[in-house]
Amino acid sequence: MKNMTLYVDKDSFIHNIDPLTKLLFVFLSIALTYILPTHLFVICVLAFTLLLLLAGKVFKYILPVIGVSLLLIISIIIVQGFFHPDRATLLFEIGPLPIYKEGFAFALLLTLRIINMVCAFGVLILTTKPDDLVESLINKGMSPKIGYVFLSVLQIIPQMIAMTSKITDAQRARGMETEGNLLTRIKSFIPLLGPVVLNSLNDTRERSIALEIRGFNAKGTKTFLNESFHFKYGLILKIILIITLIAAIVWRVVL
Amino acid sequence: MKKNSMWSLNFTTAALVLIPAAIGINYLGKLFAGLLKLPLWLDSIGTVLASMLAGPIIGAIAGIVNNIIYGFTADPISFVYAITSAVIGLVVGIMAYKGWIVNVGKALVLGLVVGLIAATVSTPLNIMFWGGQTGNVWGDALFATMMAQDMPLWFASFADSIVVDVPDKMATVLISFLLFKGLPKNLTHMYDNRSKIERL
Amino acid sequence: MNSIRVENLTYKYPNTDTFALDGISFTVKKGEFVGIAGMNTAGKTTLCFALSGLVPHFFKGAYGGDVFIGDMDVLTHEISDITAKVGLVFENPFSQMTGAKFTVYDEIAFGLENLGIPRDEMHRRIKESMQFLDIEALGDKNPFSLSGGQMQRVAIASVIAMKPDILILDEPTSQLDPRGSEEVFRVVENLSKEGMTIIMVEQKMEKLAAYSDRILLMHEGKLIDSGPPADIFSRADLLNFGVVPPVYTTVAKALHLKNELTGLYPISLEEMPASGITNGDIRTISESLPLTKTAGPEIKVKDLQFSYNKDTPILRGISVTLSGEPTAIIGQNGAGKTTFVKLLKALLKPSAGELIINGTNTKDTTAAKLAGTIGLIFQNPNDQIFKNNVLDEVMFGPLNVGQTPEVARLNAEKMLERVGLLGKAGENPYDLSLAERKMIAVASILAMDTDIVIFDEPTMGQDARGKAILKDIIHGLHAQGKLVLCILHDMDFVAETFGRTIIISNGQLLFDGPTRIAFSEADILHTARLEQPHITQLARKMGYDGILLKESELIQE
Repeated sequence: MKNMTLYVDKDSFIHNIDPLTKLLFVFLSIALTYILPTHLFVICVLAFTLLLLLAGKVFKYILPVIGVSLLLIISIIIVQGFFHPDRATLLFEIGPLPIYKEGFAFALLLTLRIINMVCAFGVLILTTKPDDLVESLINKGMSPKIGYVFLSVLQIIPQMIAMTSKITDAQRARGMETEGNLLTRIKSFIPLLGPVVLNSLNDTRERSIALEIRGFNAKGTKTFLNESFHFKYGLILKIILIITLIAAIVWRVVL
Repeated sequence: MKKNSMWSLNFTTAALVLIPAAIGINYLGKLFAGLLKLPLWLDSIGTVLASMLAGPIIGAIAGIVNNIIYGFTADPISFVYAITSAVIGLVVGIMAYKGWIVNVGKALVLGLVVGLIAATVSTPLNIMFWGGQTGNVWGDALFATMMAQDMPLWFASFADSIVVDVPDKMATVLISFLLFKGLPKNLTHMYDNRSKIERL
Repeated sequence: MNSIRVENLTYKYPNTDTFALDGISFTVKKGEFVGIAGMNTAGKTTLCFALSGLVPHFFKGAYGGDVFIGDMDVLTHEISDITAKVGLVFENPFSQMTGAKFTVYDEIAFGLENLGIPRDEMHRRIKESMQFLDIEALGDKNPFSLSGGQMQRVAIASVIAMKPDILILDEPTSQLDPRGSEEVFRVVENLSKEGMTIIMVEQKMEKLAAYSDRILLMHEGKLIDSGPPADIFSRADLLNFGVVPPVYTTVAKALHLKNELTGLYPISLEEMPASGITNGDIRTISESLPLTKTAGPEIKVKDLQFSYNKDTPILRGISVTLSGEPTAIIGQNGAGKTTFVKLLKALLKPSAGELIINGTNTKDTTAAKLAGTIGLIFQNPNDQIFKNNVLDEVMFGPLNVGQTPEVARLNAEKMLERVGLLGKAGENPYDLSLAERKMIAVASILAMDTDIVIFDEPTMGQDARGKAILKDIIHGLHAQGKLVLCILHDMDFVAETFGRTIIISNGQLLFDGPTRIAFSEADILHTARLEQPHITQLARKMGYDGILLKESELIQE
């Protein structure tokens, strides 16, 4: 079955770090690029994040994820490059179109931040099993019900996608056209999505019955089949991350 | 006894299970819109339906979880817009409760309000994270034109968001409304935590 | 001591006017196996919900009377308290998977975690229940990657691991193919031998007769009768409640094989005498129904091949001409039957070979264009239903193929009447049962008035009355000069309804000819992993050396 998650099963140091420490790292990494907005510093943060991806043996898997944001990046470079409010220093010209240094510098900063954001999340997403992350959060006090919601989405969406070809077949068999002018195509949207909605809402009834039967609303304390994720340097790493964050804020305020 | 309002955190199991279904519907709405080459995203129909069925809180949770899951499985950028999705869920949930989903006319007004609010919430995010743009070709073209005429950044960015959000959210709310109206009673009452057992 | 005590139980779902349960009282002893029989609207599922506390706690509504599980009053306890004692397994295997677990092993743990069972005990119980259900090999698999029968066994294992005193099975095999059903019934048999208290709702009366100590007969929310299977199945008025007794009882009734002491009929194959049917007792009914039209619709299939990728061919060269009488297409899961009909409908394009429908090659047309010629009724009606009332849903297809609104409405109403749902034309399809929705899907295709009608598994989940309606429809379509093809797993229905049968196995056509001959080809049936109809096997055991296909072929004096 097609898997929904981007998790890559490898054996690495990064994989062994506990999910919450990695989650903290994601926030720290993104926050740093906004607290200290100089090109050099952001490049350093990005370099460190990329290093972690390399250490996690998942570097090549981040590239398609960055690719998804490519349109946004290109758009930023073009628009900011041409139209940034401080259009003073001409950097170079593409034909008749001038690119300004200020805009370009700003666009570069934004691009670095976006790539860092994607890569920082990549460190978490590519090296952490979703169920480990959710169980860690539940251990830290998140409601098990919200935990259920997160995990079940990952299982249920592939089931729903599998349904789409059956629905398309069934409606085409009843003479519905999916090609043609815009009006024809608009008209077939509801016959396609309608069964999805009815089907999945109908399933929610049966699935909630199944959950009730399995003690989903039991009042006592829950136990866990799997032992909680154990990483002995987790606390130290978290302290280091928090100190770094404080140091960056102090740096920004003082200097 | 305490009255159960739309803000009750006492969810039925069905209301919780509705959240993954809503996210699936969001996903397939987007998929079918792509398949039919429609010029809209239509990727929040499930969130809107969940709000109509189970109130603002479930709608907001559906919105947030939707973006987190989408961030985890396809595009981390979508984490940023979790706030926008949550607000869409809240607004639809509150206005549905106040009677704005009784006819097509009101549903269109609801769609307009949702679109404007979504744009308002997205604008500061867009400015903070990517200098005011949305990544949508038409919206960014407008943004560029306005910037070229030295209009204020927030204004250009807001216009960019409006172009992107308003038509899409109006269509989304309208479609959700049509689907919602067609739902059978035995499904709609299931998400309501106010019903009681009557003893014969 | 009683395991279950039900006293004057009365219940109404919210927003409804009729009582789903109406004054029901009975008790169940520890270790007893109780079967529940009745037609689709009898209230059997609601009773199962009431025994597991879902009625009233999950569904709310109006509730009267009392249900006690041991000495626990269901009304004053939480669902989780009740389900610690009562396990429930229902029809749909997919929706019983929680969705939050990525392996079968973890899936079984879900309920135990909620109950707060210590970790060591959890591992022990999971292993034990997996072993008992023979799913140890599936422990690391994703639950959603399993077959229906495997999934249903995981559902049972998940419930058993919670160590309930009572297990309730609500039509656990109605959505499974024959092999999956057998897997589940084998488990049920073991559980009943272990002495577990079991309540089972089932449409396969042969199975109910074989396992039950007692049968509750329900109709319209009321408990009509309760007694040993032989008593219940010997009732003369059984058909009024939409229940057809086991084939053994039916044949015994026809042959007047009553037990003189008890006045009851046999209910199992073992009880039937090893002789008693001779060639003189049988008057075979000619399979070929007379054709009313001379030039009917025709499908010519020439060396049809299909594969999604080159290494695994699905169809390996099928040649056949389909015309005239209704034809059953049978074969195991994965044999290629559904692929075959999708090709006929141009939903798929052949990899090689040709399909000529009424003289037109399917290469030159599309599914939407063919919609006016071939109607295809898919297995799962939920994949197509989207309108908020039954009539509009049935009119969708006819309007698409160009019928005027007036004609479409007329056709829709006519077909709804045929499937027995005209009275529900204004209702929301999702307020009806799955079996009824299946009939809506049938009506929605029939209303398109196509020359050729193809059914994919129409009998699945239907009760005796539903099957009788389908048989009438198929014969009616034939009388109108239409060509009917039907994919089926239900061999009894094939024998009862179709004159011509095609057997497909492993992408190839193994047999094409009269149904009576199809069921005499032991080797072919074995290769295609098919079985003879129950009645055929029974007649063979009782000394008849031909192939008996229907009960009406027995001469009754």
